[in-house]
Amino acid sequence: MGINAQETYTLKGTITNASSNETLIGVNVIIPEEQKGVVTNEYGFYSIKLPEGTYTLEISYLGFQTISETITISEDTTFNTEMTEGSESLDEVVIKSNNEGINIKSPEMSVNKLSINTIQKLPVVFGEVDIVKSLLLLPGVSNAGEGASGFNVRGGAVDQNLILLDEATIFNSSHLFGFFSVFNPDAVKDLKLYKGGIPAKYGGRVSSVLDIYQRDGNSKEFKAQGGIGVISSRLLAEGPIVKDKGSFLVAGRSSYAHLFLKLADNPNSAYFYDLNTKLTYKLNDENKLLFSGYFGRDVFDINQNFLNTYGNSVFNLRWNHVVSDDIFTNLSLIYSDYYYGLTLNFVGFNWDSGIKNLNIKYDFNHYLNDTFQLEYGLHSTYHEFNPGEIAPIDENSGINFFKLTNKYALENAAYFSVEHNISDKLTAEYGLRFSNFLRLGQESLNEYENDNPIIYNEALDIYEEAQPVDQNSYSRSEVIKTYSNLEPRLALAYNFSENQSFKASYNRMAQYLHLISNTNSPTPLDVWAPSGPFIKPQILDQYALGYFRNINDGKYSLETEVFYKDIQNRIDYVNGANLIANDNIETIILNGRSRAYGLELLAKKNEGRFTGWVAYTLSRSEQQTPGRTAVESGINNGKWYATNYDKTHDISLTASYDYNKKWDFSANFAFQTGLPVTYPMGQYDFNGINVPVYGDRNSNRLPAYHRLDLSATYIPKPNKKQGFQSSWNFGIYNVYNRKNANSISFRENDDTGRNESAKLSLFGIIPSITYNFNF
Amino acid sequence: MKNLYIISLLALLFTFTSCEEVIDLDLEESEPRLVIDASMLWYLGTPGNNQQIKLSETIGFYEEGVEPVTDAEVIINTGNGEEFIFAHQENGIYLNSNFIPEFDKNYTLEINYNDQLYTATSSFVPVAGIDYIEQNNEGGFTREDLEVEVFFTDPAGQDNFYLFSFSNISTSKFTLEIYEDEFTDGNQVSTNYSNEDLAAENEIHITMEGISEAFYNYLYILRSQGGNSGGGPFQSPPATVKGNIVNQTNPENYPFGYFRLSEVDSTTYIVQ
Repeated sequence: MGINAQETYTLKGTITNASSNETLIGVNVIIPEEQKGVVTNEYGFYSIKLPEGTYTLEISYLGFQTISETITISEDTTFNTEMTEGSESLDEVVIKSNNEGINIKSPEMSVNKLSINTIQKLPVVFGEVDIVKSLLLLPGVSNAGEGASGFNVRGGAVDQNLILLDEATIFNSSHLFGFFSVFNPDAVKDLKLYKGGIPAKYGGRVSSVLDIYQRDGNSKEFKAQGGIGVISSRLLAEGPIVKDKGSFLVAGRSSYAHLFLKLADNPNSAYFYDLNTKLTYKLNDENKLLFSGYFGRDVFDINQNFLNTYGNSVFNLRWNHVVSDDIFTNLSLIYSDYYYGLTLNFVGFNWDSGIKNLNIKYDFNHYLNDTFQLEYGLHSTYHEFNPGEIAPIDENSGINFFKLTNKYALENAAYFSVEHNISDKLTAEYGLRFSNFLRLGQESLNEYENDNPIIYNEALDIYEEAQPVDQNSYSRSEVIKTYSNLEPRLALAYNFSENQSFKASYNRMAQYLHLISNTNSPTPLDVWAPSGPFIKPQILDQYALGYFRNINDGKYSLETEVFYKDIQNRIDYVNGANLIANDNIETIILNGRSRAYGLELLAKKNEGRFTGWVAYTLSRSEQQTPGRTAVESGINNGKWYATNYDKTHDISLTASYDYNKKWDFSANFAFQTGLPVTYPMGQYDFNGINVPVYGDRNSNRLPAYHRLDLSATYIPKPNKKQGFQSSWNFGIYNVYNRKNANSISFRENDDTGRNESAKLSLFGIIPSITYNFNF
Repeated sequence: MKNLYIISLLALLFTFTSCEEVIDLDLEESEPRLVIDASMLWYLGTPGNNQQIKLSETIGFYEEGVEPVTDAEVIINTGNGEEFIFAHQENGIYLNSNFIPEFDKNYTLEINYNDQLYTATSSFVPVAGIDYIEQNNEGGFTREDLEVEVFFTDPAGQDNFYLFSFSNISTSKFTLEIYEDEFTDGNQVSTNYSNEDLAAENEIHITMEGISEAFYNYLYILRSQGGNSGGGPFQSPPATVKGNIVNQTNPENYPFGYFRLSEVDSTTYIVQ
């Protein structure tokens, strides 16, 4: 350490991939002499303070050859460097400290990371490489069954995940109702899933943050890559606009029409497509402009009778600016929208709904000194909600025009976050986010007697919609309700030996948007509703403790965590609530709470021909909606009940074997407790309808879920590094053809009139083949 | 009404990659509860004197038939001295042949069973009436089925709710449809009946009943819980569906079913 009153200088720079100039995120830059290190940020930038002197700079990154460079610091210095991919390392040089071993010193915990390389080798259904499906193999992440939209993190709901693609919010992460995710893996550079200890720079969702960065495009030479699979085909092109300064990337993906609907000669189709674009232009060492776009749609057309289109669109303009040697800033201007459209010819109407938002963010990374590294910034988002509009399809339609009232809101936040190296052994990351939500004026806002939109009928023990007593219109510049929250975040790491540490974290978060859905799995039809006079924001408190260990120099690693989280104001729906085209959601919901707790274990082997991991989660996720007064019964009689996605045990085993340069093999096995369901306990007949009698909500379980998947990747010419290269991926999903129950329905048999239980299983054994190429 | 249709349609999309099988699943059985099916139906152009009430108890989910309640006391009174006693006939069916239907009058149902008193109060809901019936030979969702369209004119400026029943005498199939005028207030509209088994010569008995909003909501939930709502990931959460009848003696031991009074239009249509 600099004991003398030596001058301190700043070393800064950007680290890029030698073959493409693509910036690299999370590269370790280490100065062994000083026992100091820094990690590149989301834009490949690093900055570190050093006393005058000569140092060895060690730069290492997973999958790349480590750089060791001697550097003399006698003034503020910029050192930009390029790293070369080192995939052929296996038979040759073994690259040290370049494995996926965990960072023992950093207070960062409860984070799932997967490299795109790992994701691309995992066996998946229909051979479609899928980011979200791969994350399910890690602890703390699950979904509500095969084919369910989105994912659940630590017992949280699907709408509680903040999903960012190049910093822009994605509202629906699923194609085809959940079979595939909307992220084209070819266009993705890096991703990180925060399950807890979420830094103050993120906010607006309470359960998790999935932060995905798209690739910038190759600014050295033109490249193309693509793939042909069973379900979809992909094509990506990238290249320089101005060599070494500007680049473009365009990636498209489309499924084939008539996918699942091969019904006789009917003109049915179901397909999806998405388009990713990126333009990057480096003005100079201090300034860079990035433009990103995403556009995706799902289309279902059944006989021209039912036409359904939905998807996300996102545009984002960013300006990276290095203000001084130790301050990096990024200004983002983001537009994002989610659209849902439906045409029902047989009823005679068109339906449109959606959410739009305009977001401005200004974020600072401030590399203050050895002890403190700061992040601070301002965020502001303007939301516009269109809950739905129904229009007659033509003059013969019996439908009247009907518009649900648009809603508007402004969400602001200011935050700061400090990474504090308290001592050699103790590091902390703490911060505070101040969030503020302004529900703006709208037309026809209902008022209810005693401000009570939902009335409990004590005699019949049911909840009934209150009739509005008045309706007011407000101008959009008026604020009709304000919420403000202070969200403290804290994470600590105590590394009591070089390879072991304890970590602890606490975070409070507020969520002002709510996904209105009461089906077991979200549908694209679900609408987002803002907090306001009747709906309060969800507030989360999460605590996590963990033990982390690298074994044998990171050859193996072990991560164990326990967590507890509590969410206030989780809305729940009264029995029989009709959510579709309901302009007064407040009349059918009650405020409840939810909680989740559990244990997570991840043991990995990070090096060698044979790599893989075992992930285990033991958890419980519950919800409770008591009555508002002593006489009210609430929902499920006010008792705690398991959420639809609660899984007691969730185990996955993933293994990859590098057989030789041509062949790679992977396997994964999953075992999960069956999802909660409610079984009938009796029946009766009313007015010709056979009605099942149900017990307590979600008090039963589907049978346990398990399956084994295998895949093999074949590279015909592994030594070919130039020109056209190709690979084949062969996969088998659900090898032993387990008929896993996706749901059990209880129904009257049409022919016999007897009641029966029917198990629905989605995917049996599915072989797949994918051909990938690049040139 | 169509919402359920959309949801089950989404569920339908799943069925193309999936496989469904009937399984043996042991289910617990709940304590039996009283089920009251008390629909007073006043057919247009009739005096409406003959009315019936069905009483039964819940049975195990896989059991067949009904468990009739035969020893209850069943009375409807109007609060101003009128009292209609329903006498047990057979299989839990209780009859009265002197019933006097009137609008704007409250009727109270009182059932005494196992020393417990069950009551509910309601009144008659008028019906708009069927205008005419058309047949569409390219109907149904696939546009390949026969379809019967029942046209009616919704009264403007008020919230109306209807229950349609389609009883195919030839095939013994029975279908209920509920309808609210939220999006069609004051228009001449139709509701459709179609299924793939529908064939020429089939005799369809159609009723159109005026119902209250509360009964509409009750049926809405009941249908979403009913056996043929599809199941799968889009089904709405199972719920206990409580009607408008209260057990005054022991509210915990609530009954299932409903007491309602409807004006009814009916007709019979022979499929061409």
